[in-house]
Amino acid sequence: MATRDPLDFDVGVEVDEEGTPSPSSISPPSSPLSYLDRDRHVAFFEMLYDLMPYHYQSQEINRLTLAFFTISGLHLLQALDRVDKDRVANWVLSFQALPRSRAELKNGQFYGFHGSRTSQFHPDENGVSVHNAGHLASTYCALAILKTVGFNLLTIDKESILISMRNLQQPDGSFMPVHVGAETDLRFVYCAAAICFMLEDWSGMDREKAKDYILNCQSYDGGFGLMPGLESHGGGTYCAVASLRLMGYIEDDLLSKNATSFIVNVPLLLDWCMQRQAIDGGFQGRANKYSDTCYAFWVGAVLKILGGYKLIDKIALRRFLLSCQSEFGGFSKYPRELPDLYHSYYGFTAFSLLEEPGLNPLCAELGMIDLAALGIL
Amino acid sequence: MESSEEDGGVPLSRMAEWRDVTPLRQDDGPNPVVPITYKEEFRETMDYFRAIYKADERSPRALRLTRRAIHLNPGNYTVWHFRRLVLEALNTDLDEELDFIQRIANSNSKNYQLWHHRRWVIERLGSNARSKELHLIKSILSLDAKNYHAWSHRQWVLQALGGWEDELDYCRQLLEQDIFNNSAWNQRYFVVTRSPFLGGLPAMRASEVRYSVEAIVVNPNNECPWRYLRGLYKDDIESLVNDREILSICLKVINTKSDYIFALKMLLDLLCYGFQPSQELRDAVVALWTSDTRPLDADLATAICDILEHVDSLRASYWIWRKNKLRIAA
Repeated sequence: MATRDPLDFDVGVEVDEEGTPSPSSISPPSSPLSYLDRDRHVAFFEMLYDLMPYHYQSQEINRLTLAFFTISGLHLLQALDRVDKDRVANWVLSFQALPRSRAELKNGQFYGFHGSRTSQFHPDENGVSVHNAGHLASTYCALAILKTVGFNLLTIDKESILISMRNLQQPDGSFMPVHVGAETDLRFVYCAAAICFMLEDWSGMDREKAKDYILNCQSYDGGFGLMPGLESHGGGTYCAVASLRLMGYIEDDLLSKNATSFIVNVPLLLDWCMQRQAIDGGFQGRANKYSDTCYAFWVGAVLKILGGYKLIDKIALRRFLLSCQSEFGGFSKYPRELPDLYHSYYGFTAFSLLEEPGLNPLCAELGMIDLAALGIL
Repeated sequence: MESSEEDGGVPLSRMAEWRDVTPLRQDDGPNPVVPITYKEEFRETMDYFRAIYKADERSPRALRLTRRAIHLNPGNYTVWHFRRLVLEALNTDLDEELDFIQRIANSNSKNYQLWHHRRWVIERLGSNARSKELHLIKSILSLDAKNYHAWSHRQWVLQALGGWEDELDYCRQLLEQDIFNNSAWNQRYFVVTRSPFLGGLPAMRASEVRYSVEAIVVNPNNECPWRYLRGLYKDDIESLVNDREILSICLKVINTKSDYIFALKMLLDLLCYGFQPSQELRDAVVALWTSDTRPLDADLATAICDILEHVDSLRASYWIWRKNKLRIAA
């Protein structure tokens, strides 16, 4: 919801869509590297882990998201040893909005995790903090970070999260991210599903209603928009398909099964996804738009979930991604621009989907390391 | 983010108006992760905001403070939320609020909080605000005709307040400017299927098929009208397969022997749906195959997959997979 949660597609850097250089771009002194410069990325992320430059102050409401990208990014790069796991776990846990009593869980507030300290206040004399409000995206990031550093999620107060989360679900099945009111769209359905999945408890949401909302978001061309009626979009499609997978409505590797009826129009969806790979090898988020690093993950992950990732042109994709690799470390949205944390993270996830050596395997539907595949779980 | 337009960037600590307030520093706690090096003006503004927010002071100066904070930190949903509380408490003129949002919209046109706030204001102003709102969204779209937030807001306004009458024509204008604008095609579908004035999809289908075909004739390599055509039929496969106009445009494009990938794709889908091709169509497809080394497969669908494997080579693996699926289905 805020400017830089992990699902904030097409937001932030105001780049001229025609590709003319914005003030933030620099012409490259040399041609792109032909390999993933892992060490440089690790150094870049280590620097951000220690200190974020002021350019990120406008995203400070989402500090937990910035932390998620940084820590999960290091984990993807097989560099989690750079992180003090206990310190991170304690820091993340301190963001949880805790109720005073069980009765409070029905008062409409969401007792999840804050995104940052900016609006987290110490309780007053009565132990109350009326201004405290959890956010769905921050809660997803918090749980993902805790899992990444090996913290046992079953030891946290998950009841408070799950019971109060139901207050955020709308009659049409969608989710609001905060109880004080905000837009509702597929991004937060995804966050809710991911939260329940990680906590191994579906009492936090009405899955059937959420499924109905998702199905209403499938566009006439097979992709999914962020809300019913909206243009099909790589990020919306990811949220839809990943949510359905997490909730158990679509099985693994759907395309190799010969069943003919699915709850979504799979052939149309597959064709839409395949058409998103553009002539430059990259993936676009919508028809007739420029390729952008992050869609190599959003659309690539959908294909992975369906069992169709093997069908893309991996060589062409790799070439495009390398053209977005920055000499400073990280990845940019388009070739020859400055890197940012969000596109860097999704650049790594895209390389993980490509099974690049030196990267950990990805769990496509959670957007983070496949801990089961690593033998940790 | 640009520094605050208000107060000429003077620190709040030096203003008489704020002398009675003790700014509330953010408590980063011990061992913070990803600490941010805030600029001084940002830090100070947020420290004062926290103080006012915690005290729940809903005053004119609080309103001004939220404006300052929004300029510096437009992604902070707590600030926007508190601004709404203050606007309500002060019973502020919401038309002025629309002007405020409009002024910052240009540099924040892709900010979720801004659009949500706008929606909150419009909900309170009601249908009187409708035409001004649709006009504003048009001006945002004139800068970026694919702004997803603007389109989302536009669809909400139409559904909540109406104004459908001119929307189809607006889509036509946008498509005249850029026939490749997928957002405009999507909006067209939205209007055709949901407008209370047009009679719904079945009533509109014939004219929309014609519109799509005209667009294809000009740019057969444009994905949008092909997807739109398919979308006009949704699950009515029988009607899709029997539509002469669709068959005709496929044949026409294939016969030009250029930019025929989408035409072949459409034909392949029709065959999979049970369409029986004419000899003329078969001959047109065969004419595309220029290999001396092997003849085209007798089965038309298989032949199309082979052609696509070569001319749409980025998706070669997909076409081979589709071809194998044909064998399973047979």
